[in-house]
Amino acid sequence: MQTLLQLIAILAVILGTVFSVLGVLGFIRLPDVYTRLHATGKVSIFGVVLLLLATVMLTPLGFGKGLVLIALLVIGGPATSHAIGSAAHRIGIPMKRAIRDDLGALEQNQAGE
Amino acid sequence: MHYIRTILILLVIYLALTGNLQPSNIVLGALVAAVATLLLRPQPSRLDWRRLPAATWALIRYIAILAVDVIESGITVARIVLDPKLPIRPGIVAIPSGCSSELGTALSAHALSVTPGELVIGIDDYGVLYTHCLDATHSAEYAAQAQAMRRDLLSKIFV
Repeated sequence: MQTLLQLIAILAVILGTVFSVLGVLGFIRLPDVYTRLHATGKVSIFGVVLLLLATVMLTPLGFGKGLVLIALLVIGGPATSHAIGSAAHRIGIPMKRAIRDDLGALEQNQAGE
Repeated sequence: MHYIRTILILLVIYLALTGNLQPSNIVLGALVAAVATLLLRPQPSRLDWRRLPAATWALIRYIAILAVDVIESGITVARIVLDPKLPIRPGIVAIPSGCSSELGTALSAHALSVTPGELVIGIDDYGVLYTHCLDATHSAEYAAQAQAMRRDLLSKIFV
């Protein structure tokens, strides 16, 4: 049982590190704010959740604390991404390689009326 | 009554975070929860006991769907990032949330932000979610479908 738990934990550490690295890689490769938020806000949070799971299993942190932290991360992460994205759109940062923009079209209509 | 309910919920979260069940810690947790509740001033909401089993079941299913979505979105975005051609067709798509209440709209926006390659940028007065998609060509229909399913579950949880 103990070894099984440790094996799962080691797997979670490796996967968590890989996803965290991928989040940073996406942050470098993707072209603009909005697409970069996808990389940092999702891939990185997935990585941190896996690392937290491993921490819960390997150290005497306690399952309760780990689960509450994971819940807070999953609730707070998308909210943070939304706050940054909404602020970026409000101050008018353009999208790169965009193929449609419903919100921009709506705002132009309102400005025209 | 709803003050006591909030205090109890906060106390359980406090005990989970500190992870020790000594009487002194429980008393301290109750005090912290009471002060936080007084500062929060929770609004009274009716609790219908007959709806509780259905709501709990819907909540469990919702959390399971959310967990699958988190894993899927991590893998989807990771694959896009690793692809040398970087196959993204970004754009902002309008998705109607279909919820009338503000809470429902906010929760839908959260669920939509968790799903693969989508991020809510803005919400208008009618509850339409303006969503930034990594692939805006065919994700609109898919997103609207997933949204309808989530709305059903959410309406079972919160009236």
